[in-house]
Amino acid sequence: MKRILKSFCAALLALLPVVAVAQIDGEFVKPRNGKFLLKNATVVTVTKGTLKNTSVLLENGKISQVGTTLSSEGAEVIDCTGMFIYPGIIDGGTRLGLVEVSSVPETVDYSDVGNVTPNMQALTTVNPNSEAIGVTRVSGVTTVLTVPTGGLFPGTAALINLNGYTPDQMYGGFKAVAMTFPSSGRRGRFDRRSDEDIKKDGEKAMKEANDIWENAKSYLELKKSGAELTYYPEMDQLSKVIAGELSLLIEVNSASDILNAIKWVEGKNIKVIFTGVAEGWRVAEQIAKAKIPVVTGPIQDLPTRGSDRYDTPYANAGMLAKAGVKVALRTDEEENVRNLPFHAAFAAAYGLGKEEALKAVTINPAEIFGVADQYGSVEAGKRANLIVSTGDPFETRSQIHHVFIDGYRIPMSNRHIRLYQEFLERSPGLKTN
Amino acid sequence: MKKHIYLLAAFFGLGVGMSQAQVQKGSVLIKNATVLTVTKGNLESSDVLVENGVITQIGKNLTAPAGITAIDATGKYVMPGIIDAHSHVGLDVVNEASAPITAEIRMKDVVNPQDLGIYRALAGGVTISHAMHGSANVVGGQNATLKHRWGSEDPAAIIMQDAPRTIKFALGENPTRVHGRGNGIQPRSRMGVEAVIRNGFNEAIQYKKGWEKYNLAKAQKGNILTPPAYSERLQTLVDILDGKIIIHCHSYRADEIYMLINVIKDFNIKKVVFQHTNEGFKVAPEIAEYTMGASVFADWWAYKMEVYYSTAYNAAILQKNGAITSINSDSAELIRHLYHEAGKTQRYGGLTDEEALAMITINPAKQLGIEDKVGSIEVGKQADLVIFEGHPLSSYAVPQMTFVDGVKYFDRKADKEDQRQFVAATEMVEPIFLRANEEAHRCMQDVDKYFEAFQGAFMNGKQ
Amino acid sequence: MNKQFLKAGMLGLLVAGWLNQAAWAQSDPTGKRRVTSTYAITNATVVKAPGDPGSKATILIKDGIILGVGASLTLPKEAKVIPGDSLYVYPGFIDGAGTMGISKPKEVERPKDFVSSTPPDEVAGITPWRMATDTYSGASTQVDDWRKAGFTLSQVVPDGGMLPGKTALVFLGEPKTTNILKVNAAAAANFRSSRGMYPATLAGVMAKFRDIYQNTALVIEHERMFATSAGIKRPQTSPTHTAFMPVVQKQLPVLFAAGSELEIRRAIALQKELGFKLILMGLENYESVIGVIKSSNTPVLIKLQVPDDKSIKSQKAEGVTEATKAQYSRVKESYDNALKQAAQLEKAGIPFGFSTADAKAADVQKTLNTMISNGLSEKAALAALTTNPAAILGISSMAGTLEKGKLANLVVTTDTLFKEESQIKYVISDGYVFDYEIKKKSVKTEAKPEGAPNGVQVEGVWEYSSETPAGSSGGEITLKRENGVLGGSITFDDPSGAGKATAPIKNASLSGKTLSFEFDVAAGGMSLTVAISGEINGKIMEGSLSVPQMGSFPVKATLSSPSQAN
Repeated sequence: MKRILKSFCAALLALLPVVAVAQIDGEFVKPRNGKFLLKNATVVTVTKGTLKNTSVLLENGKISQVGTTLSSEGAEVIDCTGMFIYPGIIDGGTRLGLVEVSSVPETVDYSDVGNVTPNMQALTTVNPNSEAIGVTRVSGVTTVLTVPTGGLFPGTAALINLNGYTPDQMYGGFKAVAMTFPSSGRRGRFDRRSDEDIKKDGEKAMKEANDIWENAKSYLELKKSGAELTYYPEMDQLSKVIAGELSLLIEVNSASDILNAIKWVEGKNIKVIFTGVAEGWRVAEQIAKAKIPVVTGPIQDLPTRGSDRYDTPYANAGMLAKAGVKVALRTDEEENVRNLPFHAAFAAAYGLGKEEALKAVTINPAEIFGVADQYGSVEAGKRANLIVSTGDPFETRSQIHHVFIDGYRIPMSNRHIRLYQEFLERSPGLKTN
Repeated sequence: MKKHIYLLAAFFGLGVGMSQAQVQKGSVLIKNATVLTVTKGNLESSDVLVENGVITQIGKNLTAPAGITAIDATGKYVMPGIIDAHSHVGLDVVNEASAPITAEIRMKDVVNPQDLGIYRALAGGVTISHAMHGSANVVGGQNATLKHRWGSEDPAAIIMQDAPRTIKFALGENPTRVHGRGNGIQPRSRMGVEAVIRNGFNEAIQYKKGWEKYNLAKAQKGNILTPPAYSERLQTLVDILDGKIIIHCHSYRADEIYMLINVIKDFNIKKVVFQHTNEGFKVAPEIAEYTMGASVFADWWAYKMEVYYSTAYNAAILQKNGAITSINSDSAELIRHLYHEAGKTQRYGGLTDEEALAMITINPAKQLGIEDKVGSIEVGKQADLVIFEGHPLSSYAVPQMTFVDGVKYFDRKADKEDQRQFVAATEMVEPIFLRANEEAHRCMQDVDKYFEAFQGAFMNGKQ
Repeated sequence: MNKQFLKAGMLGLLVAGWLNQAAWAQSDPTGKRRVTSTYAITNATVVKAPGDPGSKATILIKDGIILGVGASLTLPKEAKVIPGDSLYVYPGFIDGAGTMGISKPKEVERPKDFVSSTPPDEVAGITPWRMATDTYSGASTQVDDWRKAGFTLSQVVPDGGMLPGKTALVFLGEPKTTNILKVNAAAAANFRSSRGMYPATLAGVMAKFRDIYQNTALVIEHERMFATSAGIKRPQTSPTHTAFMPVVQKQLPVLFAAGSELEIRRAIALQKELGFKLILMGLENYESVIGVIKSSNTPVLIKLQVPDDKSIKSQKAEGVTEATKAQYSRVKESYDNALKQAAQLEKAGIPFGFSTADAKAADVQKTLNTMISNGLSEKAALAALTTNPAAILGISSMAGTLEKGKLANLVVTTDTLFKEESQIKYVISDGYVFDYEIKKKSVKTEAKPEGAPNGVQVEGVWEYSSETPAGSSGGEITLKRENGVLGGSITFDDPSGAGKATAPIKNASLSGKTLSFEFDVAAGGMSLTVAISGEINGKIMEGSLSVPQMGSFPVKATLSSPSQAN
């Protein structure tokens, strides 16, 4: 205990990353379950205000109590005086765990062959030991939606917690089928299609999407009527969306596509979340009116059009929120998911505001994914996903000192930190021996 | 504005010349700001006076000389213009990927002053960028140091004419992929990369001797020695050996960094800066001792094999080992928030404000050989300045105004939205570029074009 | 200099005359040979030069030379009289630089030991020794079209890479004669990179240009030493250096194609650095570089085409957002500025000419009138068609105005030149008279080539080229109809390496004049279906090549060997 405190003070002085438990040679620090009392912090609950000099008790993987006079009986006490407690940060769209080294195709697993592959499961592919997971969680991002990409229906996304040794241990209780809405935008500099071609391609793709949708509807109807259908995993998975069992994540970005997508969703009576929504600010009113929640990002991105104000990607989330859209944020990243808090800071500075930005990476995604009873705020009864930091976790100068996921105390180490420890003062140094 | 300049020039009968490009210089008084000088500490509630493009006074309660506009910066921060030591913004071509050594290529030939990326960089407080050749070749082309004088139409007007020459080198995966695996010529391995460099320098030494011999003989009566062939490629390598050019070397792994350090020692070359340098932390003492330091990403890693064993603490380790360290973008997106990237050295390694800010100002200035002119707020330096709302290392900081040579080129409150300099007369619908940031990293731009148009669709833009 | 030109000119005329004789001798069973080479246009309104208000006169020509212009000329008996009472006569138009009648040279095969970093010059598009005349055909329909638009002389530019070859001055005269006025007029240059080899980019092209220039200078010195002293090692002069010597010696100008402002600046920067004589051609956007052009005294040949107004016409007045309106106004501003550029050149006092390269002959009148209604004076417009290009090409002593002793190149119109209803009645080039029908309203007389359905000849071998982000590519399309089904094959640059690949053509169809078909390309382990669609006009097809996910690129094809009618 003393040792922990000592290392704490050292950390505060040097602002070094903290290995909560000092290591001895050959010892590996594992995530540790138990009863923890986080004592005397400023608790930013997100849903119930900010509470000064407050303690949080974690047991059985849950936040059992939040209060000023909690008993420390049987609990490991962590003095958090001067510290801040935040709920674990949630990234609403990543490829974390699905890729190890982007340029090495053998390690890239977020996309498969075929245009209609909703049966592809992100969850089964998540590598619990991906280096990027350890790198991500010490930044305070405890939970991410990991999403397949590629064709029209590239697969089924899953919410995962960044601790555990099997995908099932990591599973966060939300899955959704991903859809790439037929696009009328250019794919970048290389895309030299004429405007007409783009329109034509878009219409063709839309018709194809509708045909597939109709097919899935027939599948569902026939199945409901008791028909014995031949094995058809793609339609089986899509029919779950139509039946309302699974949400549909619609990746849609250009303004005209967003309007088309709103129209497309109308009357379908399905659970829909728009993702990406880069040009959402152009049609924010319409999105708000359609009451479709949005996961937008990356925030640190370039404008979609040359004529756009330089800061539109930063400001997009704020403009959406102002129009009344429920907004969550994402990085759309793999190895750099740890930057989500910084993306949120940019959204905050350019119009979303700090409070809304914090919600957009905590309670909002929890609500959008239907798991707000477990995630997104520091409240008794919720999962023990939270972070202890020296200050605002969106600020680069703040240090995250503790991360708890599902009640596990996460070792504040990963390869980046271990390399720092080894090489800061390399031995031997310059001299050749 | 452009018409204005042109008319003025025409009026004075000057004609807007090519090399003697008109460079605008401005005067301004910035009042009552927190001045982050970088080299001389922080000054609370202080003023900075700029006259004719140069910082002439720093202090309290300065009064604006007649005709000079004063800007009230109460509650705001002023810092030196941010310098990006690795960028491809403002270039029409990045890679001449067709040979392992292309030292004769000049990025100054292909500068495009109308690239929107320049304005977007200004809006992030960046006043100088190092517009580099890409990393396809072991020895790439000669780079251009740009001053972001937005609105200029003349490439010469945005080239920092008083900056020294620099050249791009590249080690590791990119040159071995392009030439060895792509074209079946050396280098296919990191051994080959070293061989190509050593061969190049040795050939250059012969080339130099050949010309010296000819130039001596030429003057003699009855000379029968004929002129050797001209090669700007070899002449450029000679200039490197003669200390006239700073090498900026794309590198990732510690072994290849150490290799180049040995090569430059053998050829008695002093001016080397490592770029990216993801494993620089492993050879930080050597980098500190023998080179002009490293210019690194704040936190990029894992996008390819040679950066898998990286750490975001790289900059901090290098800094603490005494290497000159800068944070760069290599990206039209990242260049817009280098102040934030610098801030990450506080999360990853706990650097001080001054150390962090130096990584995007005076340190890159040193690596580009322009530290006597820019990179800090000091009397006598060129007036490249940024005014921030919020401390620039805060994640919530918002750049408000950016000045180059005392001329304001970005003003968050006053600028028009559409900054495009050129719009095609036949444009039907403005193109929409989705996922533009994937293409923002342009180190390997033109390489895919070089290989084949059809393949372009499948190639990932990253690094 | 002038003498040299005249000599070349005379030689050309002599050769032309000799060919005449040889081809037709005395009898002509075709009955097409003209009976005289002497013509007189009588009592016409003659505009002798730009700025001349025009006066009634008779103009007499013989053997391709103007014998006189005046009110009281004595006409020889062999003169065929063309009554010009209602007609207007102008100096024949001169195309400062164009590609009419020029075909693409055959692609050079890569040698077996090809290395992309050091390709042979010829493979890398460096062929300054080539002659435009080698790939020029006066019988091309393009030449017919431009002649019909009033052009009588053209500097034809060879097709190819960064240094495609030497240009030539040719008459748009009787196709059966040689029509050459000068074979070595300028060294053509482009910022065009090579595909998959050095120089692969604009930056490489500029470096390579310097390299060739500097080494040519050294070769000249070497050759001088070799010629004057003994014991000198043999110069190993390459065809490139030999061909480039007159450029370095400043005897031959470089004709640089430069469409955009940056290209113009880059070409002028190279000129300043190296010191060669420079002419710029094909200028499209140059508003902001007028000062640079002026101060560098660079002669310019602007593209004889204004931007099309499709985007302007498609702008909707109602039902669009403020943002869209802002876009519209930027495009409109850009469009308006583009139309005013020629007038601004005039205002700056720059005597510019025109280039017909990449322009449409049918649009000439519209283009000129648009420039004039945007501020260009009629005098300057006529000068840009006549005296200015003559001066730039160094042939002022023989062309550009209607004077005794000058070449018999004339344009005869039904009204003053720039009136909208004015039509060209005659074009006289090299003394040959071309008589055009005056259209009443809209008379369509499209001849149907025999044997081709819908009058469209599609079967045969087409040579095509397409501009893609990777540079230009091209190959052959072979089309034939079997059992009524259109099919065949196409060759293209192999994406996986050097050389050409061939693929079968599928889904080919011809509807009206529109040909469309598809083919598969294997690249990077994947297969792409590429579609080509284009409109056929005579032996030319223009359209687009579209690649899924990547877009469309312009494609142009020429029917090089049509199949015999079946």
